[in-house]
Amino acid sequence: MSAASADASLGRPKGTRLPRDARTAYLYIAPALLVMAIITFYPLLFQVYISFTDFEFRNLLPNNPANFVGAENYLRIAQDRLNIPNFAFMRMLAFNLWWAASNVVIHVIIGVGVALLLNQPGLRFRRFWRALYILPVVIPPIIVATVWRNMFDTRDGVINQALIGLGGLARIPAEAFEIDWLRAPQDILPLMPLAFFALLIANTWLGWPLNAVVATGALQSIPKELYEAAEMDGAGAWQRFRNVTLVFLRPAMLPYAIYGFVITFNLFYLSFFMTAGGPFGKTELLVTQAFRLASQQRLYGVAAAFAVFMFFILLAITLLVNRAAKATASYDR
Amino acid sequence: MIRTLKPAGILMSLALVISACSGSAATPVPSISAPDTESNAPASDAPSSDAPTSGEPSGSLSGDFTLWHTYSSGAGTELDALNEVLEQVRAANPELNLEVVEQPFEGVFDRYGLEVAGSGGPDLFIAPNDSLGQLSRDGTILALDDYIGDGLSGTLDLAVEGSQVDGALHQVPESLKAVALYYNADTVDTPPATTDELLAGVENGDYNVGLFGSAGGAYHNFGWWGAFGGQLMDETGTCVADQGGVAEAHAYLADLEAAGVTFYPDFADLSDAFKEGEIDMLVDGPWAAGGYVEAIANLGVAPMPEGPSGPALPLTGVDGWLINPNTEDPQMAVDVALALTSPEAQEIFANTAYHIPAAESVAIDDPISEQFATAVESGLVRPQNVELNNFWGNFGNALDLVLATGADPETTIADACAAMNEANGK
Repeated sequence: MSAASADASLGRPKGTRLPRDARTAYLYIAPALLVMAIITFYPLLFQVYISFTDFEFRNLLPNNPANFVGAENYLRIAQDRLNIPNFAFMRMLAFNLWWAASNVVIHVIIGVGVALLLNQPGLRFRRFWRALYILPVVIPPIIVATVWRNMFDTRDGVINQALIGLGGLARIPAEAFEIDWLRAPQDILPLMPLAFFALLIANTWLGWPLNAVVATGALQSIPKELYEAAEMDGAGAWQRFRNVTLVFLRPAMLPYAIYGFVITFNLFYLSFFMTAGGPFGKTELLVTQAFRLASQQRLYGVAAAFAVFMFFILLAITLLVNRAAKATASYDR
Repeated sequence: MIRTLKPAGILMSLALVISACSGSAATPVPSISAPDTESNAPASDAPSSDAPTSGEPSGSLSGDFTLWHTYSSGAGTELDALNEVLEQVRAANPELNLEVVEQPFEGVFDRYGLEVAGSGGPDLFIAPNDSLGQLSRDGTILALDDYIGDGLSGTLDLAVEGSQVDGALHQVPESLKAVALYYNADTVDTPPATTDELLAGVENGDYNVGLFGSAGGAYHNFGWWGAFGGQLMDETGTCVADQGGVAEAHAYLADLEAAGVTFYPDFADLSDAFKEGEIDMLVDGPWAAGGYVEAIANLGVAPMPEGPSGPALPLTGVDGWLINPNTEDPQMAVDVALALTSPEAQEIFANTAYHIPAAESVAIDDPISEQFATAVESGLVRPQNVELNNFWGNFGNALDLVLATGADPETTIADACAAMNEANGK
């Protein structure tokens, strides 16, 4: 094909045969699409299918098809008819939303704050600090959860030991600090047992550094001239922060905050390994409950329905937040 | 040039996909061959016509078999015993090739089930009988009545009964297990014989006691129910725990907690506390004896204390070899299991790993094993009916509620029983 004929083919109207280069491009992506169809789309569709059946372990064996049960699995979940102790879907959903929202807000605030500090001119060892703050992210999650769980241990945990040490200075008896962080059954505030705060502290330690990295990148892309122009216009520090820094941070931070919300909403390992969903299921997340339904209860049909619920909940949240914040829109539009 | 490379690129991409999807000849395959139609038959199918029916190992066992066990999860003594038994069986049967695979206990039943569902898995599998009933109902273990012949002629009735699901034999029994009271004889002169003595001893500060207190403690604390006259299910599988005895047992545990007994939410912490001398007593099973013998110079074992209604009734489970329905030669697999559970083999396990033999003829000399044998005899054969599945969560939660929140035992037990019955459709 000559260059001229190739150029001409680019201008073909819709509905006509694809140009040769485009066909080649489709051929190139076909293998990847095929692999995705097998390992991603088929399991997803199969999951939706089994969510409408009473699929259990025995149905994994040959010639044991599951029975179609319609929307029964969805109804059992929504109406708390799973006969699992402490299972309350709406409470779990409310806790899960609160857990994700509270974490993201704290992570973004600390992340942006630290990024601003690290962005100050004249700061020494800037690269060292940035490397140091990213360390929590590279530690394997199971180790993070185990270490924090041990730190919150009632008898031997370093948190209580530190509190006992500090309390000793004020002559407060050590017994006052035998705090059962992970198992105390009472709620401090609605939806917030003590274990929630233990999880929040652990996840804050883990979550803010990447926010700081994203914010740092965004801060460095802000043209200095804008600050100079704002200063010349008489803008104070707060106005410069509000009208320049925040405006330029938004396109980077909002999508990352949405991403962080989804990640935190589905954060399996802290709830599973630190509190095991306790006390009395109060820190159970939808994702850990889905795992228990599949792995421990072996109610695969119900677990699939649960996962479908989770998908639509997250989809709705993402669309709502995205629409409200116009997060994916560029700041120069 | 580019045009020349395009087809080559496409071909390479396709080759990558095809090779990724098809596997490779060098990829290791499971040791179990894909079963033929016959060996994939349901658990109740009869053996092939040429299969021997005596069930007695002939001394000339042959073939390739894969064995799974979880003995590395215990104190290590069970693994030593298994290795000794394997050595003897291999020496006696040179044509027999046994491939032994250690499995971590956590999640082993799921792993086994998934392997079997995928037409694979080990030929033989031994694990605590926590899931015997479930495995049978799932169809992932073979019913053995057609293969066992008179292979269990010298086996305790209790062991045979505990190896059955709905009247059909589903494992070759090896040993019996139940929990009892471990104590440090250096600090406890005489272990409490009654629940009143235990409570008084704790109140008086005679000894420190630790028990397993979280939602996972339903098994270890089950024995108290019988001491107070409680019963879990009637013959129809309906929960009757709300009809007296069980609430009293939980109230007693709450009294123990108020008196100073530490209820550990994590069993490993409880076990460590005993080994390190922080507590003088705990309730645990014979599988942990090796670790305690190592840690406590003067270890004693006694039955759980009697209550106002009689002896404590811990659940007596029977461990045994399970046979995979995918195995190519079920009869030979059963014969291998019988060789691994011969009286000689059980004697090795009894002497090395504190197992309580399932065979009548094996004498127990070790004082710790003797005490466990007493606990086993007085225990309640662990039910294998489907209704038991809804016991653990509901009554574990009830135990946790009573101990952690001070919930009223009577109401809590009534709620747990109602929830269990509702889940079981009773």
